[in-house]
Amino acid sequence: MAAATFSFTRRLLAAAGIALAFIPGPLHAVTLDDLLKDPQMSPKRFANYFEDFRYEFGSPVQAPDEFLAARAGDCDDYAVLADYVLHHHGFNTRLIHVRVVGKVAHAVCYVQQNRAYLDYNNRRVFFTLTRSGPTIRQIAEKVADSLEANWTSASEFTFDYQQNRKYFGATVVKTDPPETDPDHAKDYRAATSSRP
Amino acid sequence: MKDHTIRRLLAVFLVIAAIFLSVAIAAVRNIDRSAASSDWVNHTHAVIDEAGALFAAIQAGDAALRTFLVTGDARDQAAIRDAAAQVDEHLEVAKALTRQEPESHQQFILLETLARQRAEFNNQIIAARAANDSAAMRTLLATDAGGGAIREFQRKTEQLKSTAMARLAEQDTANFLQAQKTRWTVWSGVALNVLLLAGAIWLIRDDINARRQLAASLQEANQLLEARVKERTAELVAANAQLSTENLERQWANQALEHQVRYNQLIIDSINDLVLVLTKTQKISRVNAAVIHLTGLPTTELINQPLKRIVRLAVPADSANSPLNDPLELALAEGRDLRDLPATLEDKRGKQTRVRLTLFPLRDGTKVVGGIVTLQLIQA
Repeated sequence: MAAATFSFTRRLLAAAGIALAFIPGPLHAVTLDDLLKDPQMSPKRFANYFEDFRYEFGSPVQAPDEFLAARAGDCDDYAVLADYVLHHHGFNTRLIHVRVVGKVAHAVCYVQQNRAYLDYNNRRVFFTLTRSGPTIRQIAEKVADSLEANWTSASEFTFDYQQNRKYFGATVVKTDPPETDPDHAKDYRAATSSRP
Repeated sequence: MKDHTIRRLLAVFLVIAAIFLSVAIAAVRNIDRSAASSDWVNHTHAVIDEAGALFAAIQAGDAALRTFLVTGDARDQAAIRDAAAQVDEHLEVAKALTRQEPESHQQFILLETLARQRAEFNNQIIAARAANDSAAMRTLLATDAGGGAIREFQRKTEQLKSTAMARLAEQDTANFLQAQKTRWTVWSGVALNVLLLAGAIWLIRDDINARRQLAASLQEANQLLEARVKERTAELVAANAQLSTENLERQWANQALEHQVRYNQLIIDSINDLVLVLTKTQKISRVNAAVIHLTGLPTTELINQPLKRIVRLAVPADSANSPLNDPLELALAEGRDLRDLPATLEDKRGKQTRVRLTLFPLRDGTKVVGGIVTLQLIQA
């Protein structure tokens, strides 16, 4: 009887172990170097590193190691780092800055290969990647929906850690006709998807 | 009446549906307009915010510049750079926001020019400070004495904001009117539909009343018909009973008659004399058993035969061949009796027997329709 109970407990523990192995948990590569050298890096894997990170708003974008060491930051820190790391691993990424009514502007990192964006607000949910069309307007609408707010404008930008400065590119305005959007043309999207 | 009511009701409900659909379409369109208007208001506020943020960044840059001039600290210089980046960002966003608004766009272009001038001024001051060229710094600061450039920037920003606020006020009025129009549309549609529904209810009520009246009159007619059927059935039952009685009586009468006929035949057959019933033309219509017995002829050979075949009167020789002198014919014509006339009876073998003939005319009312002949055998 006792042997049978022991055997059952062992089986239960083994099953729990197998189940836990399939649950994506936080990975503890906490330096920029670890992220850049991770051979299996993907948008999903990148997001898993940040599951335990806290939200802490700060005006300037934090340096990568500063952000990773503090394990706290905001959407800018996350999106800019994702853009930097994933672009390093060969992904075509775009940084999109969405301005919503009554809230702080929100930044996400769009990954062309996945047709989805990484959002710091979704770092703790199962679906860390949010599917979206490639245009700035489509991304802005998805982001605004997730925030349950209206958006006014959205811009594509790049960030240079050396200069510690954002460079704004095309801006899409919600009230403008979609056909006048700067990225409406296919050649624009093709150009941005093959960013060096 | 029924078809008319259904057609009318269908028409009323079609109109109600059309009105309902129109109101729904109008309401949805108004909601879309409201959403678009809300977007426009958000957009205009974003423009105002960008203008305000732009001026704040200009001021922050100016403050950082003055601090840097005093301290010469790299962090203050970085703050000037940050402020310049903020100015660039807000200008880019503001210009994009006003792409479809030439007047505002033009105002931001003007602000951009002022911002560039200010950035150039800042760069010159920073360069002078980096070179510790106090004279150049003083000269440059003297050109900005009183903060004229910043005030100009502020004035232009306020002008832009007030223009946007005026447009917001106009839009607010338009929104108010649009909301009023939406309310009016919806409530008018509802009121019209309520009226039409009331009309439909009235039609249904009217139809129900008509149907009730029709049902009542139908029931009354049915009752009347039922009463008539009962009455007629009773009459038929009575007539049938009477007919049955009459039939029974007729049966009884027939039975009595047959009985009488049999009795009469029995009486006639019981008579030893020969009895023959003649028609007016002296043909035998009936005979008694004695005739059959004495003639040896069956009834079938006697009936409808002339009397002369078996009976011959013994008449004088001079009148034997004259039909006018036939005593039987005369007696029948005159309706009188003949009594005990001598005659002969011939049987089927031709044997002749002497008889005495008596004739009684047979009357139906006053008319002679035949006669009864009796033959009495004369004893030898």
